[in-house]
Amino acid sequence: MPPLPLQSDWAFVIENLDLLLVGTGVTVALTAASILLGFLLGFPAGAVEVYGRGPLKRAVETAGVVLRGTPLLVIIILLFFGLSVSSSAFVTATIALGLRSAAYQSQIFRGALQSVDEGQLEAARAIGMGRFQAIRSVVVPQALRRSVPGFQNEFTIVLKDTSIAIVIGLGELLTVGQNLYQGGQSTAALEIFLTVSLIYFVLTFVTNRSLDRLDDHFSIPGGERA
Amino acid sequence: MGTQESTTAGRTLRARAAGLTDQPLTLLTVAGFWTWLVVRWTNDFLLDGALIDRNTSFFPTAPFEAAASTLGGLAASLGPVGFPVGWVAGFFEFLAASIPYLPQLATGVWATILLTVLGIALGFVIAVPLSVARVYGGTLTRSVALGYTELFRGTPLLAQLFVLYFATPLTTIIRELPAVGTGFIPAQAFWVAVIAFMLNSAAYQSEYIRSALNSVPEGQLTAARAIGLSKVDGIRHVVLPQGLRYAIPGWSNELVYLIKYSSLASFITVRELFERTDAIASETYRYTELFVLAGLLYLALVLSASLLMEYVEDRVAIPGLGTTSR
Amino acid sequence: MSDPLLALDDVYKSYGEEQVLSGVSFEMDAGDVDVVIGPSGSGKSTMLRCVNRLTEIDSGDIYLDGDCVTDADTDVNELRKQVGMVFQDFNLFAHLTALGNVTLGLRKVRGMDKATAQEQGYEHLEQVGLSDQADSYPAELSGGQKQRVGIARALAMDPKLLLFDEPTSALDPELVGEVVDVMRDLAAEGITMLVVSHEMGFARSAASDIIFLDDGRIVEHGPPEQLFQNPQAARTGEFLSRLETAHEEE
Repeated sequence: MPPLPLQSDWAFVIENLDLLLVGTGVTVALTAASILLGFLLGFPAGAVEVYGRGPLKRAVETAGVVLRGTPLLVIIILLFFGLSVSSSAFVTATIALGLRSAAYQSQIFRGALQSVDEGQLEAARAIGMGRFQAIRSVVVPQALRRSVPGFQNEFTIVLKDTSIAIVIGLGELLTVGQNLYQGGQSTAALEIFLTVSLIYFVLTFVTNRSLDRLDDHFSIPGGERA
Repeated sequence: MGTQESTTAGRTLRARAAGLTDQPLTLLTVAGFWTWLVVRWTNDFLLDGALIDRNTSFFPTAPFEAAASTLGGLAASLGPVGFPVGWVAGFFEFLAASIPYLPQLATGVWATILLTVLGIALGFVIAVPLSVARVYGGTLTRSVALGYTELFRGTPLLAQLFVLYFATPLTTIIRELPAVGTGFIPAQAFWVAVIAFMLNSAAYQSEYIRSALNSVPEGQLTAARAIGLSKVDGIRHVVLPQGLRYAIPGWSNELVYLIKYSSLASFITVRELFERTDAIASETYRYTELFVLAGLLYLALVLSASLLMEYVEDRVAIPGLGTTSR
Repeated sequence: MSDPLLALDDVYKSYGEEQVLSGVSFEMDAGDVDVVIGPSGSGKSTMLRCVNRLTEIDSGDIYLDGDCVTDADTDVNELRKQVGMVFQDFNLFAHLTALGNVTLGLRKVRGMDKATAQEQGYEHLEQVGLSDQADSYPAELSGGQKQRVGIARALAMDPKLLLFDEPTSALDPELVGEVVDVMRDLAAEGITMLVVSHEMGFARSAASDIIFLDDGRIVEHGPPEQLFQNPQAARTGEFLSRLETAHEEE
């Protein structure tokens, strides 16, 4: 007697779990690299939007509007097939996700920097600190704490959007699922994509909880009234 | 804290959009963009190509090609200092190369807008009860609503599209429905995408509305109960009208997100803007020009949406309520 | 005779159309405690902020210890090391403990190592009676405690002059006393203070001079006894009696 199709479809997923886990690894690595690139570019960009002036500020703002107004899919394709920035799908996806994330992270930091009361900067200047030092020692530490909730949101957005790298054939989690479905067992579509979704869900859930911890850890006792 | 954070974020986002949308050049560009779209659609869909052939652009390419080659020659003769002229020449070259594809892309834009509008509108219908359940529901309704939003917000939209398209009989069911895929009613994949966007957007919208409802002072519902309204009526006539106004900035963000994420429908063969661009690009190998063009069209849509939402927010504003009162 | 510690010479300042300071001149010697009074909008805070150049003047000169500090080539950070400021709304650094607030300037501006800075920081907290709150964050302190930390933070830089910008006006009435007491102690220790405040008790008992500022001009300048008992200008008398009435109503 042949095994029931339902059982065999789940069995197929379980047999290929190691492939899915490799894909998960790629997804996690891509998320981490993109968030890091986004932070390295986005934090200074946010500071330029608040404290900068002239052409540099305008250039940063325009780049932000363009990156936030264009679908990630278009950015990835343009970088990979149009401008061919790298022959590596992973590098290209990191640049695309990182640039786009920088545009959003810059807004998180901009808002956080602006939300720090002006009196803080003034008090720092009043004890003889230079402008740059006052921003660095007094405003930035407070702004970084305030940007944790926004950063948390951005982190999960990047994590989910790594799936879009499927368009350039990067072997991340969703691509592995798609390959299992198209090149493997087409009857197992539901089982495959539900498993893939579940893994994404666990990843976002764990990320959110860890960042909640981070928020608690860095919060200032008693709140922020000073 | 979460509510306060998101209100601040919404307000700053709005301020940012205002900075750009205040510029006359932006307004002019958006007006030109929509004039072109409406004339194009009228000609293609309603008049059956009466003004001009469906695949022929309104704009001639020759003048731009001529300008490009003249300026290119000028740039070359100027030598090293000619590079600004070279850029202008490059821009005209870009225009000349893009123009022939504009009619097909306009059709894609139609599908993109339709997807976005249907997704967000139907999503809104689900989002309101979801958010009310989150804020005012009992233990059971509350956890069902929470589970729904966590599930859809915790997984990629693309994975949701794949589940619905490849793993459910939705496609087959919709294909059997009358009129699907005939005339200007799109084929089944489009409707699968609409359902996915509706379910996904409902989860995000309900979060915006929930935090907006939480920012309506508790005394408002108490006062409503005090004049004899039932809880449901109090929520409906007092809390929601205020809360939905608070939700507008978040809702504007969601609209912008959905315009961009509608491009993912191309993965399940929906012939929207990205899919059209990709199809032409893989025939012509003009990836850079075409995707820059697509990016600009998306940008124009996003700017239009920001303008529209600012207008809506101004229209429904009540003195002392919402973003203006803080 | 030595130079005065602080001298303002014909200082003008306007914000657009609005003239805030119109030819303000006065001097104070080391060890003096001058209290500036005047109706709201009379330019008191602006005058104070001009001294450490948080606000730039339009014309005139300000001298600190004989040096003109309003010269274009004056290093404002050097100036501010010598002039401490206490703010109306405290402006404590929200992310640092009380001790951290006091030591930040010592470490980052004076370049002190952490241990030395903390040792000195404790001393200054002791001076304002708050050494037991060294590890508290600003939000965990009462308004009066916050302002005392603010004073300790300014004292820590060992300034030649301390500026107080309405140090008690953001406080609940019952918390005013503890801050005024600290200020009185400092005055008794001989610290030079320029204070914008309407605490008449402090002005009467601790001030060397009172400066009455109205509409950007110094209307009257003299020892407390003279201003309170025998004001020379009619406006001074009117203002003081209105202030008394307001205090009685409280």
